[in-house]
Amino acid sequence: MAHILLVDDDQDIIEMNRTVLAQRGHRVTVSFSAAEARRAVAAEVPDLAVLDVMMEDKTAGFELARELHASYPKMPLVMLTGISKEMDLQFGFTPDETWLPVSTFLNKPVNPRILADEVDRLLKEVQ
Amino acid sequence: MDLLNILIVDDEYGMRRGAERALRKMHLHLHDINGDVSFNIRTAADGREFDERMAEEQPDIVILDYKLPDTTGLDILDRLMKQPLDLLVIMITAYASLDTAVTATRRGAYDFLAKPFTPEELRGAVRKAARHLILQRQARRLAEEKRQVRFQFVSVLAHEMKAPISAIEGYLQMMRERAVGETLADYDHIVDRCLVRIEGMRKLISDLLDMTSIESGQRQRVIATVDLGEIARQAVENVKAEAARRGITIDLDLPEGAGIEADRAEIEMIFNNLVSNAVKYNRDGGRVGVRVQEVEDEIRLDVEDSGIGMTPEECQRLFRDFSRIKNDKTRHISGSGLGLSTLKKIVTLYDGDISVESRPDVGSTFSVVLRPGSANASR
Repeated sequence: MAHILLVDDDQDIIEMNRTVLAQRGHRVTVSFSAAEARRAVAAEVPDLAVLDVMMEDKTAGFELARELHASYPKMPLVMLTGISKEMDLQFGFTPDETWLPVSTFLNKPVNPRILADEVDRLLKEVQ
Repeated sequence: MDLLNILIVDDEYGMRRGAERALRKMHLHLHDINGDVSFNIRTAADGREFDERMAEEQPDIVILDYKLPDTTGLDILDRLMKQPLDLLVIMITAYASLDTAVTATRRGAYDFLAKPFTPEELRGAVRKAARHLILQRQARRLAEEKRQVRFQFVSVLAHEMKAPISAIEGYLQMMRERAVGETLADYDHIVDRCLVRIEGMRKLISDLLDMTSIESGQRQRVIATVDLGEIARQAVENVKAEAARRGITIDLDLPEGAGIEADRAEIEMIFNNLVSNAVKYNRDGGRVGVRVQEVEDEIRLDVEDSGIGMTPEECQRLFRDFSRIKNDKTRHISGSGLGLSTLKKIVTLYDGDISVESRPDVGSTFSVVLRPGSANASR
């Protein structure tokens, strides 16, 4: 069992991922914005964080990922996004792990089970 | 104030000096863009000096003599036209040599001056070229801004349309994998959420169509006397069930027989949108006040709610496309973010205004003023 932070501005994405992660026995904290997530992390550091890219603005998730990685380099980060097309259009390139310090990019829409599998795999890796 | 760089290329010293004198103190005021232009003058005596001046700084207007000691004006013109340079060339040709002028124009020169010319003729040619250049640059800048705005709009729209699809798809994956149980009843909540997201998407599409039809100016407007009482009552009727469910009371304050010369659909959009927002963003057990006033030639509509309210910063963003105030209080309220920006576009058709006064946790009052007698209203 681990403590997972879910950050997404879409309440349904939060809800489905929380349901499935809770079924696997994880304790889940949710935040609807990067600002909320910062407060949540200040209160209790999670074992792993799942982040959406676009929240308050187009890149709120990127900034949050970089901050979390700087403060907690060992914390696995999963980024949910429509990386390919959306990112190409908006940033002129596709960000990868070298550009952004995340463990895994998952393309939206994400099957909650596949996210939960990835979370479990990453948690096993850092153990 | 625009500063244009002029480069005079002529092998005759007297010509260069004379031209420089004629242009040095010249100022231009462009009425149509309300802009002022002044000029910075440089000179070159031959092809080599021309190259040096070009390397120093690119000119905006080149005044180019046809005959030069080490090259010809046409050769320089050809070289300039081969590159995507943002400049205009005025060719100086010998007296009565129309052929050269035609050739130069055909090869890309903007204008020509036949020798001998007066300082006033030179200034006239430069004035014409400067005006052309500045208007052209401005048009290009506006087109670029328009492309940017459109790109922004479409990328936000794409994101807004993908969000509900992602949510529904995720839920369907859970159903396919029987993630929360074996019976259909286990999925009641998920099915409800999917329906809510589909409804949200439908609303987004219909708001998008409303906005586009207003913006395009293609819609056939029918200006006739519109009964404001009837429209206000219908707007209240539309939200009655939702208001009753949440214990929200709605008061209507209407002057007898209030009417306006307007397009009915546009006025309906204003009332429906504001009244439905006042219920949507209210607290349970709250109240909504709808008041119409006729003041001289103006119609004023105030819709007041006792809802969640907004901060001054939030109020400022409110009327932009896709601007939705996202916080704990609004998370469960669906909306396209296009309603108020569309209203803003409508009220401009009536030379009107829309504004909001709001206090967090106290409520908001949206005010619309319409001036139906204005020229635009009957456009």
